Amino acid sequence: MSVWNYVVTAHKPTNVTHSCVGNFTSHQELNLIVAKCTRIEISLLTQQGLQPMLDVPIYGRIATLELFRPHGEMQDFLFIATERYKFCVLQWDAETSELITRAMGDVSDRIGRPTDNGQIGIIDPDCRLIGLHLYDGLFKVIPFDNKGQLKEAFNIRLEELQVLDIKFLYGCLKPTIVVLYQDNKDARHVKTYEVALKEKDFVEGPWSQNNLDNGADLLIPVPPPLCGVLIIGEETIVYCSANTFKAIPIKPSITKAYGRVDADGSRYLLGDHAGLLHLLVITHEKEKVTGLKIELLGETSIASTISYLDNAFVFIGSSYGDSQLIKLNLQPDAKGSFVEVLDTYVNLGPIVDFCVVDLERQGQGQVVTCSGAYKDGSLRIVRNGIGINEQASVELQGMKGMWSLRSSTDDPFDTFLVVSFISETRILAMNLEDELEETEIDGFNSQVQTLFCHDAVYNQLVQVTSSSVRLVSSISRELRDEWNAPSGYSINVATANATQILLATGGGHLVYLEINDGKLTEVKHVQLEYEISCLDINPIGENPNSSQLAAVGMWTDISVRIFSLPHLNLITKEQLGGEIIPRSVLLCTFEGVRISYLLCALGDGHLLNFQLNLSNGELTDRKKIGQLSFIVSNKKLLYSNVNLKEVGHMCPFNSAAFPDSLAIAKEGELTIGTIDDIQKLHIRTIPLGEHARRICHQEQSRTFAICSLKNQSSADESEMHLIRLIDDQTFDFISTYPLDTFEYGCSILSCSFSDDTNVYYCVGTAYVLPEENEPTKGRILVFVVEDGKLQLIAEKETKGAVYTLNAFNGKLLAAINQKIQLYKWMLREDGTREFQSECGHHGHILALYVQTRGDFIVVGDLMKSISLLIYKHEEGAIEERARDYNANWMSAVEILDDDIYLGAENNFNLFTVRKNSEGTTDEERGRLEVVGEYHLGEFVNRFRHGSLVMRSPDSDVGQIPTVIFGTVNGVIGVVASLPHEQYIFLEKLQSSLRKVIKGVGGLSHEQWRSFNNEKRTAEAKIFLDGDLIESFLDLSRGKMEEISKAVNVSVEELSKRVEELTRLH
Amino acid sequence: MWKEIGDREMGKIRPNSFSSWIKSNRISNLQLSNNKDIVSPHRGSINSLQVDLTEGRYLLSGASDASAAVYDVQRATNYEGNGLIAKHKCLFSVDKQHGKGHKYAISSAIWYPVDTGLFVTGSYDHYIKVWDTNTTQVVMNFKMPGKVYRTAMSPLATSHMLIAAGTEDVQVRLCDIASGAFAHTLSGHRDGVMTVEWSTSSEWVLITGGCDGAIRFWDIRRAGCFLVLDQSQSQLGRRPPVLARSAANKVSVSKSLSAGQNSLGKPRAPQKKYANGHGMKQLTIGRMPAKSSARQRLHPGMLSIQDRATAHYGAVTGLKVTDDGMYLLSAGSDSRIKLWDLESGYNTLVNFEMVRLQTSKAIQLAISQETAQVFVPCMTVVKAFDIWSGKMSLAFRGHYESVNCCWFSSQDQELYTGGNDRQILVWSPCEPMTDDTDTAHTKDQDNWSD
Repeated sequence: MSVWNYVVTAHKPTNVTHSCVGNFTSHQELNLIVAKCTRIEISLLTQQGLQPMLDVPIYGRIATLELFRPHGEMQDFLFIATERYKFCVLQWDAETSELITRAMGDVSDRIGRPTDNGQIGIIDPDCRLIGLHLYDGLFKVIPFDNKGQLKEAFNIRLEELQVLDIKFLYGCLKPTIVVLYQDNKDARHVKTYEVALKEKDFVEGPWSQNNLDNGADLLIPVPPPLCGVLIIGEETIVYCSANTFKAIPIKPSITKAYGRVDADGSRYLLGDHAGLLHLLVITHEKEKVTGLKIELLGETSIASTISYLDNAFVFIGSSYGDSQLIKLNLQPDAKGSFVEVLDTYVNLGPIVDFCVVDLERQGQGQVVTCSGAYKDGSLRIVRNGIGINEQASVELQGMKGMWSLRSSTDDPFDTFLVVSFISETRILAMNLEDELEETEIDGFNSQVQTLFCHDAVYNQLVQVTSSSVRLVSSISRELRDEWNAPSGYSINVATANATQILLATGGGHLVYLEINDGKLTEVKHVQLEYEISCLDINPIGENPNSSQLAAVGMWTDISVRIFSLPHLNLITKEQLGGEIIPRSVLLCTFEGVRISYLLCALGDGHLLNFQLNLSNGELTDRKKIGQLSFIVSNKKLLYSNVNLKEVGHMCPFNSAAFPDSLAIAKEGELTIGTIDDIQKLHIRTIPLGEHARRICHQEQSRTFAICSLKNQSSADESEMHLIRLIDDQTFDFISTYPLDTFEYGCSILSCSFSDDTNVYYCVGTAYVLPEENEPTKGRILVFVVEDGKLQLIAEKETKGAVYTLNAFNGKLLAAINQKIQLYKWMLREDGTREFQSECGHHGHILALYVQTRGDFIVVGDLMKSISLLIYKHEEGAIEERARDYNANWMSAVEILDDDIYLGAENNFNLFTVRKNSEGTTDEERGRLEVVGEYHLGEFVNRFRHGSLVMRSPDSDVGQIPTVIFGTVNGVIGVVASLPHEQYIFLEKLQSSLRKVIKGVGGLSHEQWRSFNNEKRTAEAKIFLDGDLIESFLDLSRGKMEEISKAVNVSVEELSKRVEELTRLH
Repeated sequence: MWKEIGDREMGKIRPNSFSSWIKSNRISNLQLSNNKDIVSPHRGSINSLQVDLTEGRYLLSGASDASAAVYDVQRATNYEGNGLIAKHKCLFSVDKQHGKGHKYAISSAIWYPVDTGLFVTGSYDHYIKVWDTNTTQVVMNFKMPGKVYRTAMSPLATSHMLIAAGTEDVQVRLCDIASGAFAHTLSGHRDGVMTVEWSTSSEWVLITGGCDGAIRFWDIRRAGCFLVLDQSQSQLGRRPPVLARSAANKVSVSKSLSAGQNSLGKPRAPQKKYANGHGMKQLTIGRMPAKSSARQRLHPGMLSIQDRATAHYGAVTGLKVTDDGMYLLSAGSDSRIKLWDLESGYNTLVNFEMVRLQTSKAIQLAISQETAQVFVPCMTVVKAFDIWSGKMSLAFRGHYESVNCCWFSSQDQELYTGGNDRQILVWSPCEPMTDDTDTAHTKDQDNWSD
């Protein structure tokens, strides 16, 4: 890899952090606006559900998302504030369907310390001011003037140190806030302040309330006529206003989100940490609150936001599971739940770990993530490919072949679907209701298996069985002619086009027939030296009805031969090599390309492709590709996976009801589906019901092992920590090893050791005792998979948490608290094995993340950035070679190449450091030089080498090394190392795009991507934003031309180069 | 720890809360480091300690034997005790032997805030010297009218390179590195100036503490001082300060009724009266003018009453502004520590537990913003106090004689202290020994003791 990096999102964030409902796009339309950390999605509520309207990136992590309606406006405005202290006010432009920026600004301050409890942004219900709590001790006010314009902001001193929540109260003459805070004795209180805009200060508010529930964390302001505020605690809920105080006890729970049901504020939905949804009702007599009632409605995903839409429809946004659209029913279902889930929206977040595997052995990586948390934990299998959208399916057993036929030669659509079984042939046809039903073609022999079928000229159909070739009228459906195989020979393989038939019988006989009106004529017959395995005469020349060439695959000598037609003269013979016979050959030309190909599928599922010279039949440019199922063309041959498994047969089936579809025979099922026209990520979910924390794959045993934790029951805090063995095909749990009480699984690795042929799973654990800050005890457990069971072979006690495990020079390298420790795998006299510590390295705060390459060890420390260690074989010692002296709090590291290491840190930045072997002084050599810096805006939990796309050798991007990362928000991204010239070119393109593509709300892309931590902010360097660059393809032609001019490259060339990049993910 | 790492991984706690949590945890476990030693080359009391602000890597010390030294606190020079004890010897030191070095005690040694290429020393020999770190040569000399007690440079400054110096003289001088000359003299103190400190929110604001007990605020773009802190002026009664709140709770509960009506349309006056009735009449009334007019009216000529105000009875010996720029801590020869609100200039009346402070010398305080703690040299002990409650949370006992200075590195959560015993001690979060052999021994011993 190289230092020139390109960062692009393969899977967008899906963690729903905020949501709100209002009339944003028009005063009659109800919209749901959802924030997914760095994106917002606007959708329209319709009879059919939620209809997406806009999905745009925001150049910032969204801290606040609020809808409000200034005086005199017909529709709502959207207020967004980002974690890096930018804010904007957006309005919908109905004409262009775009967002327009009404106001924007920066609310950062020189003084004050950023709040630990998160930023708070609130808008006065009477639209007099916006309030922000961004720094401890300060409350920032942005007042509105009479016309609804924002005026200059100012700070008010807020003496409450630990602010938990602030809300505006309804129905106050002066804007009034209510503050929930914790004092330095950890007691929680609320108090109110009036905001005196003229004096720019607070005035003591109308009331306060001391000594609340210790878990009080959330305030819900109640609108008129009731007014006041609800204080949600872990054990009580309190309604509080100037003259009323009502409280009810609740079952211990942590309320994560609320949604107001009625405009008058008498009912609220509360979602807790266990995913339970409650309805809180304020009972009242007129305007006097008489009490509170709470009722359990049912279970949803663990909510991070709740938005009540309308008519009992509710959007549940989740950070730990899939988001949902639910309906609240008046009557409970059989399980007593009032909740009915209507729709779910996939969320991969938080991706705490993942691995890149090639389960189908197709040469394409797929990512298996540990996603979600608590009860919503799951594994997700993410792969890139072409999707087949199922349109219809029928249950059918034992299908052996399948062909589509037209009812007449001119019919643009297919009518019949011939399905062959081992001893019969059945015909399905589209009836008038556009349904598939069984029919008969009298001329066909339906008592035997069909080898091949095809449409022929003169409204005829051809059926080839093992004994004969039948020519049938497609109109009368009667037999018109039949060619019988010579007695003693049966037809093994056959192929046909509209005018020609080529078939092979036992003994290497190759027979060529031509089709005339009502007549089959045997034109040529040759005998080859070996048996024939496959044939093709797909017309690829000038004439669409007949072919000049025939491709023949052979048994025994394992070759593909090209014959000329009609004389069956051998033109070319290509030895395939190896022992795998060709199972299928295809001559083809792709749209828009002059080049013809011969594709040859082998018995082991690999595919060979050759370029075919049409005039002389020569085969050139042989290429072998991994196992695959599908091929796409886009001027170049590209290969892609489809999201289907175990396909037996398929054929195109272009019927009026299912245009451009495929008929696909799977085990026991016939499916008709259309194919996506682009590749995209497909996600399969394996719900676990528990939280998987670490995952790794073992090729040899074809299993995954995970460290997971299971909550016994939602109310109970107690957890069980487990090592689970999972089958890599069925994803069933096949074996479980429970860890001790208080013992957590921290790391997992599949590896083998020197002088030992077995492959093991090694698990590192920590005993997390409530009274200890830092674990002082852990274990390394070694398992072998035997008969699908985890067998514990050895264990080693450690003096701390085993944060990571790495296979290292046939030994095991463990990071244990402050120390890196190397263990040898030793054979004891009794034949058992154990770990013996060889050497170690001290001097880390916590060695959380470790990667190795050769003898080099790269450590990502809790707070001391990256250091490079080297293992010295002769001395049997590990020494520090160099380190980065910055104080980065790491979250992941990866080795890009011998000299460049990639790190992700606590402030959502990526950076690269370089080993400086050529430094002249010790000081220089001992320092890892920071070369690249970039603000990703995502918290990266894991890097892994690998790729989500098939590395086709035709493609230039196939040579670009990539690293995949997974984040808390469910983003899967790719860091690609570009050649320098390409980087320079793209950098130019990026800076032109910055000028043309304006960030939503006027936020600056340059600022957004600038490296940023507590100490400094610096422009991004040596990292390019692939998301911005690839958005070039979505621009209007005019804008494309503008950019083309700026970088002095034609639009076509630009599009081509950018499209090429999109194939990285 | 593992639990919190897990919570951070799944987004349950914010990364910044995670780091604050770990920092405060580590800071609450500070103790004399068992694996890190700074080898002091000084043969006199250590008067000043500072780690550079750019990399957080180089510790600069100044001592009474007229020497100054620099240590790499990140990278040990060698290891002892089986490789477990990291020794940090000085990278270089300058002393009387140096041809252009100081003749008497160095009272203050500070880094140039922008990079580690320069450092500045102030000495009782009346000189301030600017050194080139790489060549260890003096590149600039400023002759002061008396013993130099303390020097300071603004960590924020982008448009000036001024060294503020407090000396025996009543005037505070600003030495300009850019020109090599005195830029300003600031007059107002009535006695020598023990301590100087730049604001952490504005590069123009300088705070000085004098032997006259006054703490003065200067905007160096304007003539004269714009604020003199008055220990008798507090904000009690306006919005109860944090500690007073629990006492004031009763008040606010009973207040809620009358105040509730207030929100229904009555003017705010009754409420103010209520607050005034709390016994702080003049102060509350005086508040607004104090805030708004202070800056406009105070210079050139301040009201003489305000100009005479004192922050401490006796000399102000130490000043430290919190990193967030909102508060100032001061120490005085009256053995008091005071917390001041910088916006209003009020004494917050936080009651710091009684301590004994050195009276004759300036002391160097340190602050840990994460845990809201201030580290104060109290004779031979360094004590950590909670800023908001004034309660002592930790005491660091290790020096044999009085401690003069301390520096807290937030990046490493380490405290460095220097004292008259010529030692520089490192206080770091306690780390359990992870060495395997160690514990094997203790186990054996346990068996033996049976």
